[in-house]
Amino acid sequence: MSAGPNSVVETFELARRRGLRRQWLQSGLGLLVFSLILGVSFQRSQLFSSEIGGDPLGRIGEFLVRMTPSLHGEVLFESRSTPGSLASWYYDLPVWLAAIWQTIEMAIIATVLGSLGAVVASLLCASNLMPWRPVRFIVRRSLEVTRTMPDLVLALILVAAFGVGPLPGVITLSISTMGGLGKLFAEINEEVDPRQLEALDAAGAGTLNKIRYGVFPQVLPAYASYGLLRLEGNLAAAGALGIVGAGGIGLELQRAITYTEYNTYLAILILMVSMIFLIDLLSETIRHRLIRLDEGGQ
Amino acid sequence: MTLVAPSGDTAPPAVHSPWPGLIRGTFATAACLAALAAMMIDLKMAPETLLSGSSKLGRFIASMVPPSDGGDSLRILRSLAETFAMAVAGTALAIVAALPLGLLGAKTVVSNGLLHFLFRRCLDIFRGVPALVWALIFISAFGLGPFAGVVALAFADIPNLAKLFAETLENCDRGPVEGARASGVSKILEIRFGLVPQVAPVLASQCLYYLESNFRHAAVLGIVGAGGIGFELDERIRIFAFDQVAFIVLLYMLCVAALDFVSRQLRARLA
Repeated sequence: MSAGPNSVVETFELARRRGLRRQWLQSGLGLLVFSLILGVSFQRSQLFSSEIGGDPLGRIGEFLVRMTPSLHGEVLFESRSTPGSLASWYYDLPVWLAAIWQTIEMAIIATVLGSLGAVVASLLCASNLMPWRPVRFIVRRSLEVTRTMPDLVLALILVAAFGVGPLPGVITLSISTMGGLGKLFAEINEEVDPRQLEALDAAGAGTLNKIRYGVFPQVLPAYASYGLLRLEGNLAAAGALGIVGAGGIGLELQRAITYTEYNTYLAILILMVSMIFLIDLLSETIRHRLIRLDEGGQ
Repeated sequence: MTLVAPSGDTAPPAVHSPWPGLIRGTFATAACLAALAAMMIDLKMAPETLLSGSSKLGRFIASMVPPSDGGDSLRILRSLAETFAMAVAGTALAIVAALPLGLLGAKTVVSNGLLHFLFRRCLDIFRGVPALVWALIFISAFGLGPFAGVVALAFADIPNLAKLFAETLENCDRGPVEGARASGVSKILEIRFGLVPQVAPVLASQCLYYLESNFRHAAVLGIVGAGGIGFELDERIRIFAFDQVAFIVLLYMLCVAALDFVSRQLRARLA
């Protein structure tokens, strides 16, 4: 190279300037595309459309006021017939509690059935347990399809087939649980310690024994922890599914809205949120114990 | 002492539990199964309803092939675009509202333990409310249309995003901030060069993730009347036009896969 030190600096500066310019151009272009998408989206979703009165915040505020019940301090603990008492706000409490219990049952059954399906599917699509590639491919793709399918669309179709009630809700949730957990479980299966599988191979164990003594002891705590996490999600989902007729507390929410009883809606919503909150707390404590078990055992 | 394993039963005793544990385990399993069965009976999950429903479902599925657009593919495409628009607008609103809430929720910003605890619990409570439940409220408040859907998506995301933002802020490294401060720059430059380069990629990737999930949620909000593709789907399921339902669902799945792909690419570049 005959170029002097001066030209080396020049080439460097040139390259640097070119790099910077490209960076600016790229971010400018990105910003343009982003703001375009955002603008069109706001326009399409009628967020600031004058047809519905503009002022979105005012309308939200006005609605929140309509949702609050008119409670009176002096008659707070009177009977149901007194307007302004707590009992008249929660006038249908036994029915709502029954619906909440139904929602919990739906979530539990769906989580159990879905996890069983997920365990089978995950064994079929783990690369260290299933030697045939086509089976793995098919199982993986079908799990992906069940994950993409929106819950409520599935629920709508199943409600049309099985009629209004908790059954279509349970089937919907089981299928989506299987899709979600199947993928996670397969990842857990693929990360098991291979030495124990080799030891069982050396001892002449069959596939089922390998799974029973080589895989399950390693993965069960993780399975249980993910299953409980899924149970929390399924509870909220089961609450929402009732809105399309799949049983549980959602049905009552839908009814309250149809009769424009906004403060009843708030009452049921509070019940539902506290149920989810309590179950979350419970499952969180169990999960922490499981994790500690897992760490203590090793 | 013999080194030969006894023939016949080769399982080492360590694999088998002692019998009191075995009995306890059997009882626990039986109790769980009984509870499960009782719940199923309570929900009236009878085999005959399952069978009659399955035959109906089979007929539905049979009528799904071949999928057809019903001669109105332009309308379907437009409502898909509307669903995407709802997702983008809802996510944007949620981000704008969640940023200050995330700041308030971060332990490094609000160091009062009690306040921090109360605020986090408050977020936890609202995290339980699904978007569809919000949508029901807002539709009866604002009437049918995508606006209610956008607000519902935003409300469902705000507590989740605020929690994630707060955690990101708490987990960031103090070193760069202190380094910037040591060089004597102003507070704004300290945040710009110490904090933003650390948290911006993480926040952006979380936002992209929520955009993906909102696209899925936005599709179902239409079922309760919040516009978009869900409305079209609901209409067609009600008249049992399952060939068109299949068409819309397939198209929608393609869109979800495409969005996931783009978002994964972007997130990989951010990381």
